[in-house]
Amino acid sequence: MRLGMVIDLYKCIGCRTCAVVCKQVNSQPPGTWWNRVFTPGSQHHQVAPRQTGRLKMSFLPVSCQMCDNPACERVCPVGATYTDEQGVVLVDLERCIGCRYCMSACPYGVRQFNWEDPKQAKEKAGYAKGYTYGYPFPQRDKKGRLVYTPNRPKGITEKCTFCVQYTSKGELPMCVQACPAGARHFGDLDDPNSTVGRLIRERETIRLLEELGTSPKVYYLSPNKPE
Amino acid sequence: MKKNNFPLVLSMSLLVISLAAWVYQIQGGLIVTNMRNPFNWGLYIATFAFFVGIAAGGLIVSSSVYLFNLEPLKPFTRIASLTAFASTLGAMLIILPDLGRVDRMFQLFLHPNFSSPLVWDVVVLSTYLVITFLSVYYQLLPDWKPQSKEKAQKAARRVAYVGLPVAVLIHTVTALIFATQGSRHWWNTALLPPDFIAMAVASGTALVMVVMLLTMGKEGLVAHSGAFKILGSIIAGALVVHFFFLAVDLIIHGWWGGPAAEGLFAQLFGRYGALYAVELILLAVVMAYFVTGRKAGSYTGLLLSSLLLFAGVFIHRMMLMFPAFNDIPLHFINTGTGAGWSYPVALGHFQPGMDVFVSFWPYVPSPVEWAVTLLPFGMVGLVIALALRFFRFLPERQVRGASVSSTGYKASVSR
Repeated sequence: MRLGMVIDLYKCIGCRTCAVVCKQVNSQPPGTWWNRVFTPGSQHHQVAPRQTGRLKMSFLPVSCQMCDNPACERVCPVGATYTDEQGVVLVDLERCIGCRYCMSACPYGVRQFNWEDPKQAKEKAGYAKGYTYGYPFPQRDKKGRLVYTPNRPKGITEKCTFCVQYTSKGELPMCVQACPAGARHFGDLDDPNSTVGRLIRERETIRLLEELGTSPKVYYLSPNKPE
Repeated sequence: MKKNNFPLVLSMSLLVISLAAWVYQIQGGLIVTNMRNPFNWGLYIATFAFFVGIAAGGLIVSSSVYLFNLEPLKPFTRIASLTAFASTLGAMLIILPDLGRVDRMFQLFLHPNFSSPLVWDVVVLSTYLVITFLSVYYQLLPDWKPQSKEKAQKAARRVAYVGLPVAVLIHTVTALIFATQGSRHWWNTALLPPDFIAMAVASGTALVMVVMLLTMGKEGLVAHSGAFKILGSIIAGALVVHFFFLAVDLIIHGWWGGPAAEGLFAQLFGRYGALYAVELILLAVVMAYFVTGRKAGSYTGLLLSSLLLFAGVFIHRMMLMFPAFNDIPLHFINTGTGAGWSYPVALGHFQPGMDVFVSFWPYVPSPVEWAVTLLPFGMVGLVIALALRFFRFLPERQVRGASVSSTGYKASVSR
């Protein structure tokens, strides 16, 4: 089983709902974003850059690419970053020593460091007193490794987990559930009958920085109108 | 040697300041540094690379004596091994404050991941620390136990032979931490390990030179002018090799042109052009000084050029970071206009009125980072000052025409 995602850029409307629900549901502190959406080529989101004299605009959501050959996992000196039996790249939040080698290695800029205690960062942001957000329970994998907790320890790295707290129960990641345009598909890439299996077989797909050999399990469908 | 407390007091003060700053950083988190998600390594890692470099001196000097029979360097072997031991200790120390969770260091020993160059570096640096310690120990042993002189001499020699390949490895592996990373154009070159060795030979030799000059004074320079001349030639040669690597590397990065070269060169010659120029000029001036010098050089000239060399090498280590991190790997080219565009990265820090997503981070080390960085300087100073106070590291004063030194060590190396 290799869990993967296909994002249809032709359907993506750049609304950033996926980025916001991801941030909420995974209890990310202010300034930390596991998922981002931008308008390639443009200084401002939702402003069309000029291309060969015409205005043209598309959107590109980027979160952890869940590489089959993850640079972050190779460089991690303590094996805190690992690939689980479903092909999901996860961080053991209790083992990470905070050396940030994975952040130097990752070409996608998706890894986020806890530069300060996330609880304090949330307090400083000035939310109403007692306000908390995010999935409230810690999540451990089969071997007991802590892969999600609402307030991560200070001084460690974190990133997208494909919403391990939901997908381990057979539910979809929150960005897939919440996308109003239905642009995101999730499932087993090895299963020829899954939607993602069919899409990567039948449609032309793009993977980011494929030349680096990272082999992402996040595939994109072209922003151009399908024939 | 007359007792001078200044180096000891200075080193202790540096240590106290840096430890206090480190405690402050542990309390607040690495947010007190100016590193952020898009620029996740800074002054600490550059300082680490700097100290690994200057740790080369010891083994270079002692192996020159053993392998190439450079007799005039013999009296310098003790102090050279000492600087190597102290600098390795300093290099390993400055890694600790860079870790977000230094309290979980034990994980390195419980779960080492051997595909990580960082683990290789822990192995070779620890080995080198032990070897340089043994090297110092066996050279001092005859002073305490004259009867074990021959045994100690044999051991010191063996340690030097084992030490040389390990010395080469610490620079190679430290460079490999960077050079293996395909996502960073500036690091991803097979020339980085040999260039680290060239820089290490230059700066490690300069450290031996500076310590000898400061402890022996002008008299020492006159007495050992032959040795200083050799050290100067080693520095000159290493810098020539460094400039050769640098030129070849720039040509290979730039020849194809295209977005990869443009992204990197915009950082190297654009945004950080001035800093890069200072690095190149400093190193070029030092190279010119040592290449053209016929004699050993004057006391001030040698001291000044060594210090300029340290400055140049330090900037070189910082310049490992700037173009690497600010050349964001997820970069696109507009097929119509040809303009480049970097995918913005979240800082990991929110401040009202400041962008959270950036495609460039103007990293300048924070005051806390500078203070913490005094840690290895204090430690190296302390180790050297204490060692010089309690043990005999310096060659004995020369008597005109008489034998150079009475150290047991001298006899050990004459075959």
